[in-house]
Amino acid sequence: MIFDSEWLTEHLAGAPDLDTLAKGLTDCGCLVEVREPGDGAEKWDVEVTTNRPDAMNHRGLAREAALATGATLLPLEIEFEESDEDAAELAAVEIADDAACSRYVARVIRGVTVGESPEWMKRRLLNCGVRPINVVVDATNYVLLELGQPLHAFDLERVRGRKIVVRPAVAGEKLTTLDGEERELDGSMLMIADGEGVVALAGIMGGADSEIGESTTDVLLESAHFDALSVRRTARRLGMHTEASHRFERGTDPEMAAVACDRAAALIAELAGGRVCRGRIDVYARPFEAPQMELSIAALSAFTGLEIEAERAIEIFEGLGFAHERAGDVVRVTVPPWRIDIERVPDLYEEVIRHVGYDAVPSELPVLPTNPGQRNPNWELIDRARDAAVSAGLVEVMTWSFIDPETDELVATQPLCPGQSLPLDNPLAQTQAVMRRSLLPGLLAAAKTNFNQGQRTLALFEQGRVFSLVDQQPREWERIGLLVADEAGGREERFVRLKGIIDDLVTRIGLPGVSWKRGGSPWLDPGAGAVLQSANGTTIGFAGALSRELAERWDLRHEVAVAELDLERATKPPLSKFRPLHRHPPVVVDVTVEHPADLSYAELEGTVSDLASEWVEDLSLVVRYRDETALAGVVRTTLRLIYRHADRSLTQDEVNEAHERLRRGLVERLGVALA
Amino acid sequence: MGTARIDEISVAFLADLESAGADAEAVEKVRIKYAGRRSGLLQDLTAALRELPKEEKRDYGLALNELKTLINAKLAEVKDRAPTATVTTGSSSVDVTLPGMQVVRGAQHPVHIVRRRIEEIFLRMGYDVEAGPEVEDDWHNFEALNIPPDHPARDDQDTFYLPGEYLLRTHTSPVQARVMESRKPPIRIIVPGRVYRRDSDLRHSPMFHQIEGLLVDEGITVGHLKATLETFLHALFSDDVEVRLRPGYFPFTEPSAEVDISCIFCDQKGCGVCSGSGWIEILGAGMVDPRVFEAVGVDSEIYTGFAFGLGLDRIAMLVYGIPDLRQLFAGDQRLTRQFA
Repeated sequence: MIFDSEWLTEHLAGAPDLDTLAKGLTDCGCLVEVREPGDGAEKWDVEVTTNRPDAMNHRGLAREAALATGATLLPLEIEFEESDEDAAELAAVEIADDAACSRYVARVIRGVTVGESPEWMKRRLLNCGVRPINVVVDATNYVLLELGQPLHAFDLERVRGRKIVVRPAVAGEKLTTLDGEERELDGSMLMIADGEGVVALAGIMGGADSEIGESTTDVLLESAHFDALSVRRTARRLGMHTEASHRFERGTDPEMAAVACDRAAALIAELAGGRVCRGRIDVYARPFEAPQMELSIAALSAFTGLEIEAERAIEIFEGLGFAHERAGDVVRVTVPPWRIDIERVPDLYEEVIRHVGYDAVPSELPVLPTNPGQRNPNWELIDRARDAAVSAGLVEVMTWSFIDPETDELVATQPLCPGQSLPLDNPLAQTQAVMRRSLLPGLLAAAKTNFNQGQRTLALFEQGRVFSLVDQQPREWERIGLLVADEAGGREERFVRLKGIIDDLVTRIGLPGVSWKRGGSPWLDPGAGAVLQSANGTTIGFAGALSRELAERWDLRHEVAVAELDLERATKPPLSKFRPLHRHPPVVVDVTVEHPADLSYAELEGTVSDLASEWVEDLSLVVRYRDETALAGVVRTTLRLIYRHADRSLTQDEVNEAHERLRRGLVERLGVALA
Repeated sequence: MGTARIDEISVAFLADLESAGADAEAVEKVRIKYAGRRSGLLQDLTAALRELPKEEKRDYGLALNELKTLINAKLAEVKDRAPTATVTTGSSSVDVTLPGMQVVRGAQHPVHIVRRRIEEIFLRMGYDVEAGPEVEDDWHNFEALNIPPDHPARDDQDTFYLPGEYLLRTHTSPVQARVMESRKPPIRIIVPGRVYRRDSDLRHSPMFHQIEGLLVDEGITVGHLKATLETFLHALFSDDVEVRLRPGYFPFTEPSAEVDISCIFCDQKGCGVCSGSGWIEILGAGMVDPRVFEAVGVDSEIYTGFAFGLGLDRIAMLVYGIPDLRQLFAGDQRLTRQFA
């Protein structure tokens, strides 16, 4: 809220310079965020927290400033004369819903001339960001900014039956508000009606029909106390937010209603030349009962970790307008009506700590049992998966948790798709309307972004959650998505690169023995896609070259391979057991076979390991070459075997002999040619 | 054709190799004649295998393999004996100004780098790291945290709703409530995670990340909160930063504090990052409101505690000087690579 510095200090005796004042306010929790020159004074943007509506006006903030800086809050002096005419004979007020309106104060001012406000008033309103309208309306706004009480001025001539009724609206009733909008009302909304119909939205905005205009001579001034929740619900339903509703929603001071009514009446009489009629019309349906609380100074000190003197606490309560009474360690306080936020003893602690200041509290680390901190086990495993991806050279991205519904429909065909779509009730944009059920759409969008930036070689991953509805219940799963694009390699190179990354990753998260089954989904190229199954046959992911249709849909300039893995089944991998480091030298021998393309690598490797001598400690693929010049579909595969004996050196002859047996076996078993 | 032909070639090979001696060029000619990839005799013999009747294939194959082994072994032997090329010096020395071969390494997202640094600090202080659902119910996200329906604080946390009374959590605080519901004090946790608010501009993103802390035990004081935050912020930034607590307001803490650090960019002289104030707002904190304890079944007569929360994205932006929050989620690898 914007404050006028001159207006603020006007309420203080012995006010310090503005710098000290601003610092004092900031220190007690009213952050002076911006100070800038205004017309005749500084404009201060002060962040008053939601729970402190009492400080959302100049006098309320001055009270804090006085206590914070040692100044004195001046008493509020309101002087005006009343005419002989009795207000109660000119208008009547009735509250039909005292739960929503506990008090309604009104005054009548007759014979006003509605013109412009004086310069000093316009200047202050403008400094606070309020547009001057006319002297009567300005006076009500001025009092709102000064005392925090929202007021409304009716043209008394237009209040039919000269009668005000505070009641819920009847469904279907309509009101054109001051902003020119026609509002349709329902039974949950509190209204101000006159003898014939609705004239204002209680606590939010007046109606256009009873608006103060140049022809107005008699004014009915409303100063009421409306229930915070009632105003809030109505304002939300109607999509409205006004200076008045902002205050009422947070809670106003019921006692202030009468004071503010007098203050506004005095201003109108002074500036618009009217006569204030005798007496306030004051229907106080539920009078305010001040809460009382008892505070132990010893408990306060223990809670704070600072010895607080009872005298200091009492000084603070005094400054904040609490009545107080001390009996030894206990201070009994009476909460003033403007402090609607003070409900319990800890709220009192806060008042004292605010003004004592956090700076005064000594820092002391708590002493607790010395158990070491633990990461939530799943959280730990998820970071392991992320680390595996990073160490494989992948770059992490974070993309939106929500995607567009059209893309989401495509996800339904994925092997891992977890359940029904989970749409947002109130998305910000149609492109972010459904919770993601897969990480791939985000990764593909990221790939496009990076390709458009001139990247050709990409290796990306995202770790995050996917969401869906299962049996009408929302659920979420941790996933990891991978994407590689490499200009130099072909489809098979990209596939095996991805596979290598995944094989390493699943080992690190305790899912060894993953099998790769040809297939996948419409998301993958049918000739280069696989579904991953864990050792017990559960599908844990899919991987392969992205299908041409999807590559076109995302407008990708280069081919990509993608994978998505479920991390929910991750477990801590077993501790590695030491294997002896053999001292005797290995003998490394390659074997190259030429075979038809339909002999899978898995079958070849299986046969080799089946036939291999017990001395073979390792078997790996060296190179695979598809011979385009030879007969169609001939593949040349070179495998490397490492022969080693645990207890002695093998002789070349022994190895040659064993290797020869293997070679012969391969020819016999698979009918392959040896190259 | 048959194994006889193989024997012939075997003999011829040994003779040719012998006459080539130590002449590398001559050996290479022998290699090409017998083992050449395109037109070597071994290729011919292999090709012939396909045309043989089945019953002859086995013997022929075995003999052929023997020959191959022999040829390869002998050629390798000769090659091993050849003198190795000497390293030349002088004019062909290494150009040390060439760019080094680029290491292809992966990189973590800056938000995760910051998260893990903060987790490490608190793990060392004995805090557990907990997680919770991103799709929450109203109870844990709001009501248990003393934010009843229609509370004005809900205005500050514009919420995404999902079918059936669910919502996307607007902060990591619901995990506080979940942990306190399921565990007895002493409780010492931090909670990192993704959160959502219905808001989008330069400083707000509908999706961002927070880390939350909670400590509950007997006799926990405001001084404990202050010391814990100071210790943490010194570990995260540097021992030189000053930490300032200002009174603030959160519905779930009482009293509450806004916590600032002295500007790490300008030594409090005033700069763009701190808007000239010399202070940077870094986190929110406070003593757990007894209403929260009562909502989750912790005895507020016995226990007190403190809680704090900060924006991970905000810290990452601050530390690395990233101007626009939304850039963090654009998927551009150039961003991540900068912070590997």
